[in-house]
Amino acid sequence: MTELCIEPLSRAPLYVLELWGDPKPAAKRIAKALGHDLPKAGRAHGLVLRTGPATWLVEGDLTELRAALGEGGALTPTGGGYAQVRISGPRWRSLLMEGGLFDAESAAFAVDSVVTTPIDHVTVTLRVESESACLAYVPASLADDLLRFWRISAGGLPR
Amino acid sequence: MIGPAINFTFDGRCLTARPGQTLAAALLDNGIKLIGRSFKYHRPRGILSAGVEEPNALVTVGSGGRTEPNTRATDLFVYEGMVATSQNRWPTLSSDVGAALQLVSRALPAGFYYKTFFGPPGLWLFYEKFIRRAAGLGPAPTRIDPDQYAQRAAFCDVLVVGGGPAGLLAARDAVRSGKTVILAEQDAVLAPSLLRDPQEIDGQPGSEWAAIVADEVRASGGKVLTRTSASGLWDDQFICLSEKLVEPGQVPENGFTQRYWHVRAGEVVLATGAIERPLTFANNDRPGVMLSQAVRTYVNRFGVVPGKRVVVATTGDDAYLTAQALKAAGAEVVVLDSRAAPAGQDSGLEVHNHAAPLTAIGGKYGVTRLVAEIGGDERSFDCDLIAMSGGFTPVVHLHMQAGGKLDWDEAAQAFVPGTSRWNVRSVGLAAQPSPAEAVGAAGNTKQAFVDFQNDVTVADLDLAWREGYRSVEHLKRYTTLGMATDQGKTSNMAALDRIARREGMAVPEAGLTTFRPPYTPVSLGALAGLATGEHAQPTRRPALYDLHAAKNPIWLNAGYWKRPRAYPLGSESLAQAGLREARAVRSAAGMCDVSTLAKFEVQGPDAVQFLERVCQTTAGKLAVGRGRYTFMAREDGLVFDDGTVWRLGEARYLLTSSTGGASRMETWLSYVRHKLCGDLRVSVVPVQEHYAAIAVAGPNSSAIIATLTKAEAPRHMSVVERTIAETPVLVMAASFSGERAFEVHFDASHAQTVWRAIEAAGCCPYGLEAMELLRIEKGHMVVGPDIDGRLTAEDLGLGRMVNKAGGWIGQSALHRPAFADPLRKQFVGLEALDGGSIPEGSMLVGLAGAEAEGHVTGSGLRVIEGGSIAIGHLKGGQARHGEEMWASSPTRRLKVRVRVTSPHFYDPAGERYRD
Repeated sequence: MTELCIEPLSRAPLYVLELWGDPKPAAKRIAKALGHDLPKAGRAHGLVLRTGPATWLVEGDLTELRAALGEGGALTPTGGGYAQVRISGPRWRSLLMEGGLFDAESAAFAVDSVVTTPIDHVTVTLRVESESACLAYVPASLADDLLRFWRISAGGLPR
Repeated sequence: MIGPAINFTFDGRCLTARPGQTLAAALLDNGIKLIGRSFKYHRPRGILSAGVEEPNALVTVGSGGRTEPNTRATDLFVYEGMVATSQNRWPTLSSDVGAALQLVSRALPAGFYYKTFFGPPGLWLFYEKFIRRAAGLGPAPTRIDPDQYAQRAAFCDVLVVGGGPAGLLAARDAVRSGKTVILAEQDAVLAPSLLRDPQEIDGQPGSEWAAIVADEVRASGGKVLTRTSASGLWDDQFICLSEKLVEPGQVPENGFTQRYWHVRAGEVVLATGAIERPLTFANNDRPGVMLSQAVRTYVNRFGVVPGKRVVVATTGDDAYLTAQALKAAGAEVVVLDSRAAPAGQDSGLEVHNHAAPLTAIGGKYGVTRLVAEIGGDERSFDCDLIAMSGGFTPVVHLHMQAGGKLDWDEAAQAFVPGTSRWNVRSVGLAAQPSPAEAVGAAGNTKQAFVDFQNDVTVADLDLAWREGYRSVEHLKRYTTLGMATDQGKTSNMAALDRIARREGMAVPEAGLTTFRPPYTPVSLGALAGLATGEHAQPTRRPALYDLHAAKNPIWLNAGYWKRPRAYPLGSESLAQAGLREARAVRSAAGMCDVSTLAKFEVQGPDAVQFLERVCQTTAGKLAVGRGRYTFMAREDGLVFDDGTVWRLGEARYLLTSSTGGASRMETWLSYVRHKLCGDLRVSVVPVQEHYAAIAVAGPNSSAIIATLTKAEAPRHMSVVERTIAETPVLVMAASFSGERAFEVHFDASHAQTVWRAIEAAGCCPYGLEAMELLRIEKGHMVVGPDIDGRLTAEDLGLGRMVNKAGGWIGQSALHRPAFADPLRKQFVGLEALDGGSIPEGSMLVGLAGAEAEGHVTGSGLRVIEGGSIAIGHLKGGQARHGEEMWASSPTRRLKVRVRVTSPHFYDPAGERYRD
């Protein structure tokens, strides 16, 4: 595997799930529909990422989720606003330390961890896919700039 | 220092250095002692120190865009091909015309600047060119730096600043207690002091021991950074490190020349050592007068003996090590010690006690003699080097930057770190400097320099004191002491000592100046990182950016967004293109990318309650498929943004607001949602970037939309779901131009498909310039100049649209009496009476008045008929329609007679909105 691969992915339908009021009943129904609990703060499970106190990013087929949600919250399409970038290779953590203020090299930032943090002044949501890859959700309008930043930075990482 | 000789040039002279030598060491090795000229008097200057505290030996290094001025020769390691030049001299270093200033130095005392450069402001234009030429020492490069600078975050349990023995021990202890460590050392090697004063530690030669400790730090997952200076320390152990990846001016292998680290540490250990103090005597700034420990560094580390006949003048013990090193290297050495002879001491050296230097004698190439006072008698010593030691000042800069306190160490005659505000501690010489005796200035004080870099003498301090400057902060600014690039590292203590003596008080009572970052100069490039040139700020590209770019538009940076201002055809100017595009909208149909509008999906059973808190208009009365104009106020009742609200479903709304205020609105809605309305069952999601949007405007727009969607176009302020080019779209009938118009919103992933379809249907693309003309003629406000956060809805002429049921944020604030003032500024229109355009931003002044009563917020013209019009804010403006005034801009020398009108110049009844 090359040390670092920065790969923009094709756009995918993406939704924001937000629960209101007492989230527990809706969360319980959704857990049943998904086959797992909604991920806790800072975590992802399958195609669901926790991004706020009562918000998740959701990808994929929403049929069952929508049915389970009922009146407990809302699903809002948001995929057009994000570019997804996969950063893979042994040095992906090192790259994410460039221009940022989040400790991507921490062991606590393990597989299925999620964080939203500024990198080179761009607010990015990161999800650790595996020990060798991380998926970044980047605001579409800033994706070109951030890709440039990452590609240049990749050439100057400390040994 | 093994390896082939390294070739470099100094002032065009080809020289060689040995591997590992600094430029200062290499120049001394080549017999060169004259390195530069001083800032004010152009006095010849050599090398004082062997570290970052160097005030004299500043050079310009590198060439082209890699040129770096004011680089310390003592902190610059020679590399093959290095080009270094001396500074502040003309035409040559040895024959500097500016040296004539020494003849008139009596006319250039402390405060010269303040005493001379006053008078009529016009004289500044004369002074300025001389002042600018004199300022700054080395000239800044004029070409763009071709290299790159990285910025990087790092985290650790313990950050150790200083890789000397004390720092290495602290790092090792931390590693052995299971902590992650970053160790930063500004030199190119660890433990440089062990090269100066070789010794064994743990049974190992010092440098080998240092390497073993460094390996232990690395093996534990820590980092060891050399050529890395800690430039600043802030709250909660946040510290910035400036790492040189290559030497200044050197071509980097991978394009990166420096890395700026932002480190957050659990604890910071400052092993920053201490800086030796010069002695103050006449001509102590001459080439050949050096700090004692620096001399020892050159002898023991760099293999250079800077003099053969040396006088070592000292107030403490450390200088004896220098004397011994020099003697071992074959030099003749005499020691002048200010202290009494200790009983039984036999150093094997010629030592004179109760001795102090008075005057160094010599020329620009070095000293030849030292006149000293020994036990009350004067005596002269032939010498080619004077090594002086006035004690040591701990490097407490970072400790102080982090809000620490200092204690006075009487034995060392120095301030040492006291309590720390944060988890910061000092170790080694930074905490416990060597003892030294206090010695005042000797000899002619007009030639005895305290601040070498800014040419401040003891006499200058005395003059400032006589002129009443008592506060050390005032005195510093009056004399410029400690304000050069070295920030007074070698001068501040001597100055405090002098002030204290004049005041008859102890040094701690004299006060202390503020320690500010950076500790050593940081390249601006390091602070900028990769954000340079066109990337100096983030660029937000709308989804349609590529399509716009293909039309080669005139761009406008609207916030961070890159938006087309106009699409000129042929040789059209901006104004011509804008007017053509606006006329296309008035006469046929135009299309404009409005994707950057802020947009929020608001869903839930309580969405109406939420919207009616945020918006000053009603939302509950909207039927599904209808929309309305709306505006929002802060808690103070003043309008800060506007937009539209659309009911897309029973409990689903789309709220739009201004592009420029998008981030602010997102924060505001989040605050309202979570803090003010936490109990509401509502979801508020920003979808600014999810939806691209295209405005289609003009008398033909309705037919175009009908053709594209194969359905009837919605009526004004209605929204329907349709498809265009098989892409699902929301068609919202709303106008910002005064014409029948629609906003087409859709998933941004399909932006290009929809744009192409609309353009093919016969729409003329128009940019923000045309949009300005259209909206000003119609009297539509924009957030920023018109809605500037200082006016109420009533002031803006929106009072009749306010939700009378209340409940919106800011309502209670409107009961303040000030809001009933009839002379509040209000939104008005203006038309020019005598031709000429109305200057944007100009003041509105009564024809007979002199006081500004308002200002012009936007200026344009009637798109079809011509004629200059404008909109603005005017005191009591709504009651002043018909009044004539001046729109005056004195700075542009523009003055236009205007009439106050309604801001709605075009179709005030709104008939053109409807089919």
